Amino acid sequence: MKLNCKHIWRELSNYLDGEVPPEVRRDIEAHVAQCRHCAALLDSTHNVIVLIADERRLELPVGFSARLRERLERELTKGGRLD
Amino acid sequence: MPDLLADKKDREFKLIDRILSGHHEGFYELIAPYQRRVFMTAFDILQVEADAEEVAQEAFLKAFRNLRSFRREAQFSTWLLRITVNEARMRLRQRREISFDAVFPTNEEADFTPIFLADWREIPVEAVLREETRRLLCESIAALPEHYREIITLRDVNGLNNAETAEILGLSLGNAKVRLLRARIMLRDLFVERLRDRKRHRLSREVTP
Repeated sequence: MKLNCKHIWRELSNYLDGEVPPEVRRDIEAHVAQCRHCAALLDSTHNVIVLIADERRLELPVGFSARLRERLERELTKGGRLD
Repeated sequence: MPDLLADKKDREFKLIDRILSGHHEGFYELIAPYQRRVFMTAFDILQVEADAEEVAQEAFLKAFRNLRSFRREAQFSTWLLRITVNEARMRLRQRREISFDAVFPTNEEADFTPIFLADWREIPVEAVLREETRRLLCESIAALPEHYREIITLRDVNGLNNAETAEILGLSLGNAKVRLLRARIMLRDLFVERLRDRKRHRLSREVTP
């Protein structure tokens, strides 16, 4: 099937997740090979997904673990019942 | 790979048994690998560091208190993130910053047109190494509507699969996928806008003597 740009946008997420059937994947790749707009859309969205998963994006606040432990310790020693 | 996962699950379940039998200090070991994920999930939803830390603490406490009710069909991390999302939502409701009716638009199926990029290299992956890009990315996430931030943080930041993400958010798999698509494209568009503004800003500075 010949896909247009809107088809590509609709399937973009599934395509990036590897969740489209092989024949749809082939059609998407055929379209993308000759459509710069969709090629850029696919690549850039993929890159944004890679970027937000990067652990360096956000640091834990200084002292986070110590404060968490303190809070849990208070709870655990306060009878610390597990129901 | 699946074996490694099964091993980890097994180790966690054994650890949970020990905690439930009274070795409470084992809980620190159980949650150690997830501190960052829980904090990031809370932060991505709440966008305020102090609130995110408090919510993260609440989530860990709740997980401890309710450990016995954890059904081992899911991974511990999925269960923990579900608690985190619920706590963060409660906090948002308390803040009353967001009316929950307004958050879920009914026109999710409406047509959309992504911003045209001349060149994918406008968003190189190496860009994260630059502090400024990282900041722009955080701003873009902050600019997303709340229901899009939720799904992005579960699926793409924490790497849960679509089924787990849908379950945590109480969505059908199909609706979760549609929402994820919209969220990813909107995030990309917001990021592209910010990158362009920055470039324009920099160019105009270079032109001015």
